[in-house]
Amino acid sequence: MFNWFQKKEKKPKLFEQVYNLFKKSSDFFNYYSSEAKTPFWVCYQTTIVDSKILHEFILPYLLYYPLESAKDIQRIVPIEQIIVTDKIEEIRDKILTGYVMVQLDKNDRYCALIRSELNETREVGIPEVEFSVVGPKEAFVESLDTNLNIIRRRLPIHQLRVKELTVGNLSKTKVAVLYVDQIANKENVQTVLQRISDIDFDHINDSSYISEIITDNQFSPFPQLLDTERPDRVCSVLVEGKVAIIVDGSPHALIGPTTLVEFFSSFEDYYINWYLSSFFRLIRGFAVAFSILVTPIYVAVLSFHYELIPKDLMATLITSRREVPLPPILEALFLELTIELLREAGARLPTKVGQTIGIVGGIVIGTASVEAGLTSNVLLIIVALAALASFTTPVYKMGNTIRLIRFPFLIFADIWGLLGIVYCFSLMLAHLLRLTSLGRPFLEPIYPLRINDLKDAFVRLPFSKLSKRPTYVQTNNRQRFNPKDAQEKKDIDE
Amino acid sequence: MVNDRFKISPYLALFVISTNQIGVGVLGFQRIIAKSAGHDSWIAIILAALCVHFLLFIMYMMLKKTDGDIINIHQNIFGKLIGNFLSNLFIVYLIVQTILVLRTYLEVLQVWMFPELNIWVFSFYFLGLAVYIISGGFRVVVGICFFSIVLPLYLWFSAAFPLEFSSFRNLLPIFDHSIKDMALATKDMTLSIIGFEIILVFYPFIKNPEKSHKWAHFGVMYTTLVYLVMGVTALIFFSPGQLEKTIWATLSMWKIVQMPIVERFEYIGIASWMLVVLPNVCLSLWGASRLLKKIYNVKQKYMLWAIALFVLIISGLLTNRKEINVLNEIYSQVGFYFLYLYIPFLFIATLILYKVRNKE
Repeated sequence: MFNWFQKKEKKPKLFEQVYNLFKKSSDFFNYYSSEAKTPFWVCYQTTIVDSKILHEFILPYLLYYPLESAKDIQRIVPIEQIIVTDKIEEIRDKILTGYVMVQLDKNDRYCALIRSELNETREVGIPEVEFSVVGPKEAFVESLDTNLNIIRRRLPIHQLRVKELTVGNLSKTKVAVLYVDQIANKENVQTVLQRISDIDFDHINDSSYISEIITDNQFSPFPQLLDTERPDRVCSVLVEGKVAIIVDGSPHALIGPTTLVEFFSSFEDYYINWYLSSFFRLIRGFAVAFSILVTPIYVAVLSFHYELIPKDLMATLITSRREVPLPPILEALFLELTIELLREAGARLPTKVGQTIGIVGGIVIGTASVEAGLTSNVLLIIVALAALASFTTPVYKMGNTIRLIRFPFLIFADIWGLLGIVYCFSLMLAHLLRLTSLGRPFLEPIYPLRINDLKDAFVRLPFSKLSKRPTYVQTNNRQRFNPKDAQEKKDIDE
Repeated sequence: MVNDRFKISPYLALFVISTNQIGVGVLGFQRIIAKSAGHDSWIAIILAALCVHFLLFIMYMMLKKTDGDIINIHQNIFGKLIGNFLSNLFIVYLIVQTILVLRTYLEVLQVWMFPELNIWVFSFYFLGLAVYIISGGFRVVVGICFFSIVLPLYLWFSAAFPLEFSSFRNLLPIFDHSIKDMALATKDMTLSIIGFEIILVFYPFIKNPEKSHKWAHFGVMYTTLVYLVMGVTALIFFSPGQLEKTIWATLSMWKIVQMPIVERFEYIGIASWMLVVLPNVCLSLWGASRLLKKIYNVKQKYMLWAIALFVLIISGLLTNRKEINVLNEIYSQVGFYFLYLYIPFLFIATLILYKVRNKE
């Protein structure tokens, strides 16, 4: 709109360079203001600049105040983040992150970069992946600043450190590493910072990218960094001395170091009575074992060891399998794959259609395949229960892993029966023993055995008993509170 | 020197010692000791345990003095050349131990579970798993040892079932055998609980190794308890004539375990026993490759692969019970002389050596 001006006026050298860099983008905007007390040049990317800030807080000051140099802009415009520079690379990067470039039409070598970034984010919502009935109902969003704000409000201490790094050659993603100074182990923090700054990748979309790149063993099906969308969980582990990683554009924070047991603890466990949460944790542990082992055991028993089960139970099994022409392994694979299909279809479809497909598919296919004689009733029940059990895993990524590792178990069960199951179990155990999370053993507190950490692992003891921070974090300050204050022993009627 | 990062806590010596002692032997040692000592053979178990405690004690004395492993002990006493030669013999001993443990377990599998089991394929997978574990370092090997004690704990319950059908009078009269018979039974028993000599290899891998001394003895105690319970249960469950004919007494006892949804418990037992055998194979493979690395200064992983391949070939070539028995006999003789003659000899030599050195 001001095109006729630009033809006449000669741009300052720096501005000219910037203009040449950006002019091919149609959302790049620049103009010359000759009406101002001191004439100046302005340019910015319209799509990422908040025009409200620009018109209320930047332009009026520039128009009505006499300005000597770019330094004066820093003094007069009421915005904190103003940079005065003449480096073309810095200007380029800042313009791309929502800064407005201003250069006075004098022989000034420097220009001012004023931050007026447009923040389009969604509202802080309720956690959907890690839903809990009781407890706080806020979840992270995609904006890094909002997420940091939520955490800062929960942890108003100056020891909470935020180290910001930029990774991704093309995406220039902001990554914040959070830890509480004097509690977190320096080595852990250093490992995380080192691994993140070593990342050489073009486009970081989400925290899962970071997780996969910096993880200890990329070839493991097990996640080695916990990801969560709950700010309360992040704050509580920061206080335990762990390190959190928050990535701009991702509503999931990463937490490390972590252990296998932590993946099976839901954060709601801390909001309900400790008897209940201990019970639920045990149920979950049982569910995982059940979901991995029960179908392979069915295959092993019916293929090799039918002597193993008493004859009354055998009769039930034989009756239900009488019409089935397939060997147990094919029968089991058929049903397991059906369940996987239903799950995958349900996950890809819109919620309402997904539910319908789930119910219709589950009931219709299940009943029909039994009636058609493709599978037995008993196996249908077992597979459905196993699927149900696998969904009790509180962390979504671990749940997927559990669903995956059932298949090797199934195949080994078909080769060597019970022996194959034990073989596969030993293999899994060996793998878990070899895994580390930020260099700390993954199977802790079982191996190495740490009695203190067992208090909050398979069960959760009351808070008054949890006076020490987890051992594997190797924190500088083990004591959370003085246990003597928490449990005053009183005599009767005193 | 071993880096601190790869060292284990002292208490873990309990699991390493104990798990290396408990192996396939538990499944069928009762008949062997009952051959000479009959219903008094439970005393032989205790006597053997006392011998093991003594041997372990002098091993620890030796190791504490030398502050190294068997290679250092050998080199101190015999000098580099002869010392290394003797260490090589110890490596052969460990490799034969690996072959025997693996092959005997496969024998059990073939007899009790899968007569058609392909030795080559299963050994390949089994050794592959062992190599995978050892590649993770000693810490992971010890982890497997730990779980091989903790996870099969439920098998203890199985010892309660035969009690229903047993007669305690089988044990009477006590001390009914000659000293010679008892000694023979003790000798046979010692060979069943062999395996604690692995301490000669992994001693430098313990943090504050002096502190692990008591834990190692606890480990031997646990092993003794396992053997004692299994031995006494077998003695009171089987009549003497029956026991003579029962090769795998523990397995035969498992046969009568009955639960609402499980009959033929021995299938579960034998399959779980893989977890017990696995660390034995891992430890001796690890020990052999570790010693080779230390003597010849070669990469441990190549040595590991080579030994595993060798074990695979030999155990595949051993086709029948007779050959395994011959190997077992030789191994037993060597083990006997190694423990009762060679170890005390080494101990005395070390003592004299350090006495002389201190005087200088």
